[in-house]
Amino acid sequence: MAARGSCPGCGSAALVEDAHYAQQQLVCAACGCVLAEGLLTTTYTEEEHLREVAYSQSTGQKEQLSRCLQRGIRRVQDLCKVLQLPMVFEETAVSYFQRALQHPCFHLVSLEKKELLGGCCVFVTCRQHNWPLTMGTICSLLYAKQELFASVYLSLQKELGLSVPALSLGDLVKTHLNSFRLFQHTADVPATFVEDKEKMVARTMQIVELASETWLVTGRHPVPIVTAAAFLSWQSLQPAARLTCTFARFCKLAGVDLPPPAHLRLKELLEILLRMASQLAWLRVFNMDKKTVVKHIGDLLQHRIFLLKNAFCLEDGEEQRATAPGEGSASSPPAAGGAAQEEGCPSEGKRQREDGRRPLLPPCLINPRKRLRTAALSASDSAITGDEPISDSEIEQYLRGPEEIRAFRKAKAWS
Amino acid sequence: PLTPMTPMTPVTPASESSGIVPQLQNIVSTVNLACKLDLKNIALHARNAEYNPKRFAAVIMRIREPRTTALIFSSGKMVCTGAKSEEQSRLAARKYARVVQKLGFPAKFLDFKIQNMVGSCDVRFPIRLEGLVLTHQHYEPELFPGLIYRMVKPRIVLLIFVSGKVVLTGAKERSEIYEAFENIYPILKGFKKAS
Repeated sequence: MAARGSCPGCGSAALVEDAHYAQQQLVCAACGCVLAEGLLTTTYTEEEHLREVAYSQSTGQKEQLSRCLQRGIRRVQDLCKVLQLPMVFEETAVSYFQRALQHPCFHLVSLEKKELLGGCCVFVTCRQHNWPLTMGTICSLLYAKQELFASVYLSLQKELGLSVPALSLGDLVKTHLNSFRLFQHTADVPATFVEDKEKMVARTMQIVELASETWLVTGRHPVPIVTAAAFLSWQSLQPAARLTCTFARFCKLAGVDLPPPAHLRLKELLEILLRMASQLAWLRVFNMDKKTVVKHIGDLLQHRIFLLKNAFCLEDGEEQRATAPGEGSASSPPAAGGAAQEEGCPSEGKRQREDGRRPLLPPCLINPRKRLRTAALSASDSAITGDEPISDSEIEQYLRGPEEIRAFRKAKAWS
Repeated sequence: PLTPMTPMTPVTPASESSGIVPQLQNIVSTVNLACKLDLKNIALHARNAEYNPKRFAAVIMRIREPRTTALIFSSGKMVCTGAKSEEQSRLAARKYARVVQKLGFPAKFLDFKIQNMVGSCDVRFPIRLEGLVLTHQHYEPELFPGLIYRMVKPRIVLLIFVSGKVVLTGAKERSEIYEAFENIYPILKGFKKAS
């Protein structure tokens, strides 16, 4: 580019601006004399305008990460650090996040949803590695509404075609109990309330497995069951000192939330334990109730397989009877009850048999809620073809008469 | 021209089949009345109509027989819900169209189409949802107590609950509901025997 002025060396007017190793110089074209040089250090604005070598070209990165993506990735990394997840999880979650953001259905959503998307990626990664992270925990970390989180989670699963294994209850017990503050003596926690963590985890696991076998877990929120099981296991390890402590007080001392369904889960667990206790020979003499059965939870858990078989009639009894009617005196005691409940076991759930066994069924079948049963299509309904003539009188019943309209208009003051 | 209706009685089940017939609970259909409607006028002159433009931009109308609800839009399009069979849905839609005609609008009855059918039934044994392993399934007890299974053929969504009750939805024809149930029943029965 030609510049004005003359060379002090030869007087020529042919001055050009040249870049020598990216440094601007004013050079005489005739004699090569350098009139002026650019500064070795340039200001930020000068560098911006120069743009000699772009950052993305010099470091070999062809794509530039958008600011939104950068922020999202940082957020995912922060979440992983807060949850103390291994490095591998962080990398997986970040890759899911990047893949997801490229999809049109996530590209243009609100910032709130993008933030939730990051949380969902962390959640999915944890579940795929069987790391027991519940939705409740993630939602509280993100201050998110669970419905919104659920919808983002479902679309993420669909768009990326991810398979997410079910939550492992055993791992959830260990993680949830980690947050309980009952394993050390503090100002609020009396000495008699402090418990050994290993013992409590082991017993809580056994109670949760019992709940799972007796249909208390399927279809229900997992955390209330774990909380109720933890309470029972804690009480049973030192019943003398702890029976007077209520569930609410226990949760307060432990520093955990008491979710509302936990009371019902506790009730259901105690009912199962009471039934099992009725089958234990040395406990039959006592009149067991909800309080006293807690003292014997250790024994009940030890013999739980035997007790469950005797306390509840399993459906297998009915099945055997249904398929092999001539068979076995061995199966006839349970089958005798099975016969009574052959067809309608769910609906007959409440009926007690002679030896007091009830069927092992989910609570929704034991205590069915009274629902208005809509009648099946009646014969006259079935005969409808859809093309019947429609009488005028039938239609007119739905139309307002003129006086009615006047009255309505006056009442509503419509124009 | 009338489209041929599917037969009222369900397809006779094969001898190895469940013997359980899902019951239809809800049919959603749409029809085009093909004329612009004045919703305020309709709400004023019809007893069975409600109209809150601030909440929803359609008139909600109900008739007693067949017991159904219709959403009537100012464009002339209408949605009819609540019927228990395809024929009932069509009859109900015609009655709504007749009401609109009697109110003075030149309503026609074009492009009647069943959009969705919902059925339900009971397999009569409890199901351990956490043990069921199917592709295209989704079981999140934190979100919903039932297992959501998206069957590919026929394209039906099934909600399977621990009580053994099954809800089938997404069908355009009732045969799809029956077929979907006949597909899932052996899986559930087999799973019960295995566990």
